Amino acid sequence: MLRILLKRLVLMPFLILGIVTATFVLAQFTKGNPLISIIGARALDNPDIVAAAKARWGLDKSLPERYLIYVDNLAHGNLGTSFRTKQPVLQDLADRLPATLELVICAMIVGAVTGILLGVISAQFRDTPADHAARLFALLGSCIPMFWLGLLALFVFSVQTHLLPGPGRLDIRSDPPNTVTGFMLIDTLLAGDWDGFVDAVRHLILPSLVLGWSVTGIVARMVRASMLDVLGQDFVTMARAKGAGEGRVLFNHALRNALIPALTILGFTFAYLITGSVLVETIFSWPGIGSYAVDAARSLDYPAITGVTIVGGLGFLIANLLTDIAYAAVDPRMRSAA
Amino acid sequence: MSAHTILAIGPGRRLYSRFANRLSWRSAPVILGAVIILGAIIIAISIPWWSPYDPIALAGRRLQPPSWGHWCGTDALGRDVLVRTLYGTRYSLTIAALVLAAGVSIGSLVGAVAGFIGGLLDSTLMRLADITLSFPPILLAMAIAASLGPGLVHTAIALIIVWWPIYARLMRAQVLNVKGLDHVDAAVVAGALPSRILFKHIVPLCWSPILVNMTMDVGQVILLASGLSFIGLGAQPPTPEWGQMIAEGASSFYSWWIAMGPGLAIFLVSLSFNFLGDGLRDLFDPRSRAST
Amino acid sequence: MMATGNLWRRGLFSAASLMIMAASGALATAGTAQAADSEIVVARAMDLNSLDPARAYCDTCQIYLSAVYDTLLTLAPDNKTIVPDLATSWEVSPDVTTFTFHLNPAATFSDGTPVTATDVQWSMERLKNIKGGAAYLMDSLKSIDIKDPHTLVVTTKTPNSEFLGILSATYVGIINSKLAMAHGANDDDNASTTDTADTWFLSHSAGSGAFTLQSYKADDALRLKRNAGYWGKKAQVSGVIIKQTADAVTQAQMLQSGAADIAMQIDPDTAKTIHDPNIVFQTVPSYNYVYAAFSPIAKGSPVPLTHDVREAIALAIDYKGAIDFTVGGAGNLQPSAIPNGFPGTADLPAPVTDVAKAKALLAKAGYPNGFKIGLEFPAMDVYGIDISLLAQKLQQDLAKINVSLTLKPETFNVWVGDIDKPGVPFTIGFFAPDYFGSAQYAQYFGMMAGMPWGTRAGVGTTPGLDGAAELVAFNKALAAGPSAQEAAYQAIGLQMIADKIILPIVSPDLVLAYAKDIGGMRYSACCNLPLAEIVKH
Repeated sequence: MLRILLKRLVLMPFLILGIVTATFVLAQFTKGNPLISIIGARALDNPDIVAAAKARWGLDKSLPERYLIYVDNLAHGNLGTSFRTKQPVLQDLADRLPATLELVICAMIVGAVTGILLGVISAQFRDTPADHAARLFALLGSCIPMFWLGLLALFVFSVQTHLLPGPGRLDIRSDPPNTVTGFMLIDTLLAGDWDGFVDAVRHLILPSLVLGWSVTGIVARMVRASMLDVLGQDFVTMARAKGAGEGRVLFNHALRNALIPALTILGFTFAYLITGSVLVETIFSWPGIGSYAVDAARSLDYPAITGVTIVGGLGFLIANLLTDIAYAAVDPRMRSAA
Repeated sequence: MSAHTILAIGPGRRLYSRFANRLSWRSAPVILGAVIILGAIIIAISIPWWSPYDPIALAGRRLQPPSWGHWCGTDALGRDVLVRTLYGTRYSLTIAALVLAAGVSIGSLVGAVAGFIGGLLDSTLMRLADITLSFPPILLAMAIAASLGPGLVHTAIALIIVWWPIYARLMRAQVLNVKGLDHVDAAVVAGALPSRILFKHIVPLCWSPILVNMTMDVGQVILLASGLSFIGLGAQPPTPEWGQMIAEGASSFYSWWIAMGPGLAIFLVSLSFNFLGDGLRDLFDPRSRAST
Repeated sequence: MMATGNLWRRGLFSAASLMIMAASGALATAGTAQAADSEIVVARAMDLNSLDPARAYCDTCQIYLSAVYDTLLTLAPDNKTIVPDLATSWEVSPDVTTFTFHLNPAATFSDGTPVTATDVQWSMERLKNIKGGAAYLMDSLKSIDIKDPHTLVVTTKTPNSEFLGILSATYVGIINSKLAMAHGANDDDNASTTDTADTWFLSHSAGSGAFTLQSYKADDALRLKRNAGYWGKKAQVSGVIIKQTADAVTQAQMLQSGAADIAMQIDPDTAKTIHDPNIVFQTVPSYNYVYAAFSPIAKGSPVPLTHDVREAIALAIDYKGAIDFTVGGAGNLQPSAIPNGFPGTADLPAPVTDVAKAKALLAKAGYPNGFKIGLEFPAMDVYGIDISLLAQKLQQDLAKINVSLTLKPETFNVWVGDIDKPGVPFTIGFFAPDYFGSAQYAQYFGMMAGMPWGTRAGVGTTPGLDGAAELVAFNKALAAGPSAQEAAYQAIGLQMIADKIILPIVSPDLVLAYAKDIGGMRYSACCNLPLAEIVKH
């Protein structure tokens, strides 16, 4: 167990170095010109302006030089300055991370709750139409393109029926609460702004449902499988024999044990949720890391692209570490095995 | 897709009961999936011969809702949405085929060699795979696509880079399993060349999980590729690629029908490959058959 | 300038965005709308590249800078007359090289310090030395002498009749030099590398305008606050929020729901879908346009793009049809590369369509059966025009003279590089003015050596394009007094039409869309949307 953790941690610097190297090498092949987002297109015809901008942003140096400078900065925790926003990438990311985390956490809750529910239903009613329906529903979530589903959801719930607000995290005209944690749900409450809290919740509903559904299938599969395992075991049979009600057997005995392996799957859903958040944030104008990544990629903002990828890799690593730790905590065999 | 892959071969996975309704219930989705996929392939190949409209040229008035003349309506440029959607199968299936063919070839070769030879080569190659797998696929693909510039070919390259390590790991695990089998030992004793042992005696036994995973991954490749097009890093207009078409539908938001065709198409194709993958797993994986 | 990348594919995001106020339902806008003294919200796809006057260069920059940084001179609502701003009066020497300005002694920066000649000198030299996107405005600057704290003399290298127009450009906004220097700014020769104030300007302003910067969050919102101590006529609204709203559809929805008061990027198509008595649509001619252009020296053309071939193609284009097709008729024909309404354009002949003559010319050139040529263009939306759509229209038109176009859509970033290197034989581009004056067009589109399009067209090597005639006319225009300018620029316009390198196709109308209770809206050639004049009833 400890070895796995250590291995992951030791690999991390190499991972980051790898991605930095890769983006630098790939940048050589690009046809586009990042200067456009720095000085505007028309000034590209003016050699003085181009030279000045290149010098200012370090683009006049050779690729290896730029690479070394970047790596050196990186070692000091500096991710460079975004070509597009002109702010330190680290600050840009810190500003936007809470928005993404808030969305991803809400989506994970949606995915976990629906997944567990459907998984239990499918296991309990194995091979009945209820099982097939539950599994189909879970599968749909991972087959429907999220960016289309998001559009449909906006069209139906926001434009047509006005049941829910459109994109963004809060109503534009309302003053955003002071940023304490960056989580709208928490900040509005800290500010005692109940209306703001309700507004934030309403804005979160559509994106977290769309994003959460995409991982329902993964969770449901896992829960179903482990429920079937557990339901066949002696202690469940015992409980039934002792005359415990079916609901009690299901939730008190079976589910509690089945959830242990299911819990670990949440770490895996992170990859899905990050992928999804890029698309969902784009649709819902959510000011998080995902939409930042898209804007960076479109304007060839290399420092931002590299920064986002590094942070994404770190997030992935942390999710995996947490999964490992959770697994070790719930499964004594893992602990002793290591 | 990494989570998906892990699940697909995970030991906890149980399938439908082998008893009741086995044939009818279990086969229905597989058959449905296979039919849809076959249909999509036929459409992709034959569409230029029978399409009533050019996918890029004007076909009628702009922004017309579905009608007899245009079953899925027309888009902002007066092009027929149905025709464009059908043409879209060409791009999506091609890119999925390309990415998986290349990803699986590269990945399998790396995995087989690493597992067979072992030692420093093994750990170097596998660390490389680990590194690639440690980044959320879409961010990696975006970084690559952004650096190379938008375009379908670049999307394909990005996705191959994202996908190969999955197959490298899978193949390596298989090779390690098979390496210890008797007939391999026999071949070694008989003095066969290592390359012959690997490719004649080991690799052929490793294909079935790879095939199952490939089928399951088609949907994921199509989803990710269209997602990249949607955010503007993949296919460029006027290519009738599904993700790109949904992006166009988003800009003519009130004309809901523009995104409907391609949205349903992505969904159907990806669902079909999932169904088919399930069926193939039942066929190939003795554990999943025996476990219930 | 050309719109920057952010506008491309208005679509996407949007749909996104549907800001829609569904919110409407619940918490919509309670308590925020006290008339007369409230904030207004402008929904806009922001293409901001900087908030530093010396570095900024974009359409939204013009709106921001004109609201926050006063200039020496500005453009009157007639979009023609230069009127005082920080300078109350000025004198121009007869040779049009020496300009004397007298500053308004009442003018103060938002922190209360007076605007002095030193600040003006510092700001102009910094604009030049930072070498940002708009630095070319100061190309002709020779020296600035301070006579007294409120008088300065500016000398240009060569006669420059357009210098007053240039000084009304928002990028020449006057900065509080002491304040900015305290935060890393300088105007030294090497300011392009030593000036570090770029980041400071993202959260602070240092101008003497009617508004100050309250906060800016990239990709989210730009918030302006009324400058309570403004030395001139104070702004009518207490603040302005420019809300990042990527596309026309979302902007329209925000207007309808009341979440936004003003939107300026709604295309005619979307405008048609809105029938709301509370929204006013005002259509005004813009100075923006989209053009087709030839680079006869670029590789990749199957036939030499001689004058006859270019003229044949120009004659085959259905200009009126293109306007109907791309902007639903809401646009104008434009004769030359100088936009309608700018000096020299009054009597220029409008482009005509004559397919028979086009065919004859093509036959004369030796291609009676036509030929096949690529058309590379940026696949994006500008000024409400979908360039892909326009490209397809050209494809249809040219088919009539058997010229078969192969469409090559590219992203903006790639296209902008391609037209210079390796060069594109036939392309579509777009342009919007930086200030009121025709010289910027001669400098960008004129067939003169060293100018962007002159270089692309191969002045000096391409037969018929020697560059001499336009250079003479241009120098004459620059040295001309105000009364002679019109004729001088007309000569350039006529020469540009005859060159058949730049074929303007459509100058789209601008749709100003705003809530009924908003007043004081106007479109300005220098400043886009003057925020200080807006009223909320």
